[in-house]
Amino acid sequence: MIHAQVVGKAVATAKHPSLNGFKMLLCQQLDAEEKASGTPFVAIDLFGAGMHQKVFVSTDGIEARGIVHDDHSPARMFIQGVIDS
Amino acid sequence: MRIGQVIGKVTMHTQEDSLTGARWLLVNPVDTAQLNSCISRQPGLTSQPSLVVYDNLGAGEGDIIGFVEGAEATAPFEQPTPIDAISLAIFDTLHYEAPTH
Repeated sequence: MIHAQVVGKAVATAKHPSLNGFKMLLCQQLDAEEKASGTPFVAIDLFGAGMHQKVFVSTDGIEARGIVHDDHSPARMFIQGVIDS
Repeated sequence: MRIGQVIGKVTMHTQEDSLTGARWLLVNPVDTAQLNSCISRQPGLTSQPSLVVYDNLGAGEGDIIGFVEGAEATAPFEQPTPIDAISLAIFDTLHYEAPTH
């Protein structure tokens, strides 16, 4: 599970069919002091997370395959929850 | 998934049987500073190491793609296939705003 902040969005027409209908958000990993760490990555959004909201991102591929309902999906990162405080 | 630019393709004379017919792209990960301009402009090589990515979406040179590394890259295949990175999306637009505190 990654502590991250939503920093943008991504749109793709050509994508793996299992990702159809899912919103893709750019997420920036945060370190223990809430500073940006590494390069932003793209995660599937299930909750309608907003810009600059802090989120938890799961990196579990097995869970992600369940969420997109496709056992052969290469999906991995998805937003698991939005952090209130 | 991570974001990278296709900078070339790889062709192989001899390869594992399960990989026959595969397309391979040479992908350079995009840096944070390039995220907003990489779709409209050639971002240029970054210091991040380039990697070879399996592709069946039809991405071409210059395209900005999303790719996944690790065990998930083999998920689309029925048979065990030795692939470590696969393309998932060809991006039309990317919008990035620096994180706030």
